[in-house]
Amino acid sequence: MRRRSSIAFRLIATVLLVEVASAVLVILLAWGYERHSHFRSFDIMLRGRADSVLGAVQDAEDLGDNVMLDLADLHVPPEDFYEVWDGRGHLLGRSPNWPGSAGLEVPTRNGVFRFTFRNHGYRLLRLQGSRIVDPGEPGGGHLRFVTILYGSPTEHVWRAVYGAVEFYAVGMLLLVLITGPLIAWVLHRGLEPLRQLAALAANVSADSWDFSPPASARETAELAPLTGALESVLQRLERSFNQQRTFVSDAAHELKTAVAVVKSSLQLVGMRQRTPEEYQAGYERAIADTERIEDLVAKMLTLARYENTAAAASGSGCNLNQCVRQAVSELETFAERHNIEIAVRELPPDPCSISLSAEDCAMVVGNLLMNAIQHSPPQSQVEIHVRAEAGSIEFTVQDHGEGIDSSVLPHVFERFYRGDPSRARETGGSGLGLAICKAAVERVGGSITLASSPGTGTVATVRLRAS
Amino acid sequence: MRVLLVEDEARLADNLAAALRDGPGLAVDWAADGESGDDAARNLCYDLVILDLMLPRLDGLSLLRRMRARKDSTPVLILTAKEGKDAIVQLLNAGADDYLAKPFDLGELIARAKALIRRGKGAAHPTLRALDIELNTLEQTVRRGGVLVDLSPTEYHILEYLLHHPRKIVSKEELLEHLYDYNWEHHSNVIEAHVSNLRKKLDAAVPGAEPIIETQRGRGYRLSPEPSS
Repeated sequence: MRRRSSIAFRLIATVLLVEVASAVLVILLAWGYERHSHFRSFDIMLRGRADSVLGAVQDAEDLGDNVMLDLADLHVPPEDFYEVWDGRGHLLGRSPNWPGSAGLEVPTRNGVFRFTFRNHGYRLLRLQGSRIVDPGEPGGGHLRFVTILYGSPTEHVWRAVYGAVEFYAVGMLLLVLITGPLIAWVLHRGLEPLRQLAALAANVSADSWDFSPPASARETAELAPLTGALESVLQRLERSFNQQRTFVSDAAHELKTAVAVVKSSLQLVGMRQRTPEEYQAGYERAIADTERIEDLVAKMLTLARYENTAAAASGSGCNLNQCVRQAVSELETFAERHNIEIAVRELPPDPCSISLSAEDCAMVVGNLLMNAIQHSPPQSQVEIHVRAEAGSIEFTVQDHGEGIDSSVLPHVFERFYRGDPSRARETGGSGLGLAICKAAVERVGGSITLASSPGTGTVATVRLRAS
Repeated sequence: MRVLLVEDEARLADNLAAALRDGPGLAVDWAADGESGDDAARNLCYDLVILDLMLPRLDGLSLLRRMRARKDSTPVLILTAKEGKDAIVQLLNAGADDYLAKPFDLGELIARAKALIRRGKGAAHPTLRALDIELNTLEQTVRRGGVLVDLSPTEYHILEYLLHHPRKIVSKEELLEHLYDYNWEHHSNVIEAHVSNLRKKLDAAVPGAEPIIETQRGRGYRLSPEPSS
C-alpha cells in the first residue's frame, strides 16, 4: 500500500532537516574558529617561551666575547624542547628531550612549523634573536646573533578545540531533540480545526445534509475558503439531490398510476362475462391507456435527453417562420374542434433562423400552441407574434383564457406540475410539456417565460438567439 | 354501502368506480382533488373512503389527518405509489386502516374494501347473522331458516345495512345516503317500495314466521328484536 503523504509529516521533516543542516554548519564554523583562536594563542605562548629561552643566553664571560646558555633560571614545561645556536653555527645548548636530527627537519628560515614526532603533533618555532655582549664597553658592546628552535606538543590544543566543538554539537542535538516533538505537537494542535471540518463533512449524507462548520474553521484564513466551498457545494448538491429525488418519486407515481389504469381496465373487463361489444370497448380503452404510458415514457426520455446532453453542433438550426406556419397548419383542425381561431399576427418578412433544430422547434411551438388552445374559451383567438430584434428573436403565444393563478405561475415549468391536475389529465397532459419546452430552449441558450393575469389570459414568450 | 373515492386520475377512478359498483354493488362517489374529497367526507354518509395520496390542492395524508382530527372514524383505504416502510408506518399512524400499493389488483381492492366496511360496522366475519337470517357477503346470498331467498341488489343492500345496525332504527334518508351515490335521483318512496318487497320475500320464505322488519312510522325501519324466550 502506498503511504499517504502528510503535510504535517513533511513540515516536521523539513524543519528538522533545516535544523540539522544549521547545526552541522554551526559546528563546522565553531571548529574553524576555535582552532584558529586556540592556535593563535598557542603560537603567542610559543614565542613567549622562546623569548624566555633567548633570555637565558648569557655572556660567556670569556675572552672571546662568546655567549652561552644559562639554564639555571630557565623554567619551561618538561614536554617542550629547544635548541640554541649562535651566529657562527655553534650549538649553545638544547633540552634533554631534543628529538635529534632524525626526527626533525630543521627549518632554515624563521617562523612556525608543524611536525609529527612519535605520533604526536608538535609546533616548532624558529626564532633569530640577538644579544648584546658587554654593553658597557666602548662602542656599545658586541652584537651576537642566536638562533632558537623551540617546540611544543599541540595535543592539548586539539583537545580544547574538540571540547568546544563537542559542546556545540551536544547543544544542537538537544535542540533538535526538543524542537522535533514540540513542532509535531504544535502542528497537531494547529491542524485540529481541519480534522473537525473533515469529521463534520464526513457526517454529511444524502439523508442528512446538515453541515454547520465551527466558527473556528470560518475564522481561520487557511480554512475559510475550504469551508465556504464545502458549504456552497453541499447546498447545491442538496438542492439538485432533492430535485432529483422529487423527480424520481413523481415519475414513479405517474408510471405506477398509468400502469394501475391499464391493469384495472383489463381486470374490470375480466370481472364477469360480458357481451362482445363490452369486450371490444374494454379492449379499446386498454389500448388507449397503454398509449398514455407510451407517451409518458417518451416524454420522460425526451426530457432526460434534453437535460443531460449538450445541444447538437451549430448548423442544425431552422427557420422559425416556417416552423410556426407548419405548427399552425397541423393544429388548425384541433383548434376548430375547440372553436378557436389561431391568428398569426406578426411574422417578420425575413426568414428568422434560430439555433433550435427543426424538430425541437416544432415541439416547442406545438406544445405552447396546444396549451393555449386548451386553456382558451370557445369563440376566442390564440395569437402568435414573432419579432426579430438585434441578434435575438422573440416568439409569443397569447391566449384569452382564464389565466394562471399567481401562486401557480412560478411552478408551471416544474416537472409533473399541473396547474389544474384533473383538467390536465382529461386533456391528456402529463405535466411534462412545459418542462420539456424549457429544457429544449435553455439547451441552446434561449429563455422561456410565462406571464399571466387571471381572467384575461396568458402569454408565453420564447427568446432565442438569431443564428 | 357507499364509498367515497378520492383519486385525481380520471381513468383510474372510472375503472375503480365501475368495479366497486359492478362487484359488491357499492355506491361510489368520486372526488378528483383533496379539497372536494374533504368536502364530501364531511357529509359523514360514507362507509369507506378510498384515498389516493398524491392529490392536487390537498394531499391524501393531510385529508386523512383532517378527517381524524374531526373525529371522523370512517374506514380509510389508501392507494399509494410510495414505497418503503416509513411511508406506510406514517400512513397507518395518521389513522389509515389499510393501504394498497399501485399498481394493485382490482379483486384485492374489492376484498379489502368489503373487509374494511364490515370491520367498520363491527363485524369480523363475512357472514352476517341475526334471528334466523343468514347473509353471506361473499356470495351475496340470503337465507332465512336455511331457505335461500332471492333478493334484488337493492333489497340485498337494505338488508345488509339493517343487519349491520341491529336494534337501531334506520331512517329512509340514512338508507338513501348509504345505498345510492350522487349519480342517482333519490326519492324516499323508492326505499319504501324496496323495503316492502324485501319484507314480503323474507316472510314468504318461512311460512307463518314473524315479520322480520319493523316499520317505526315517521322514523324508519329496524330489525325485529330477538324474540324474548
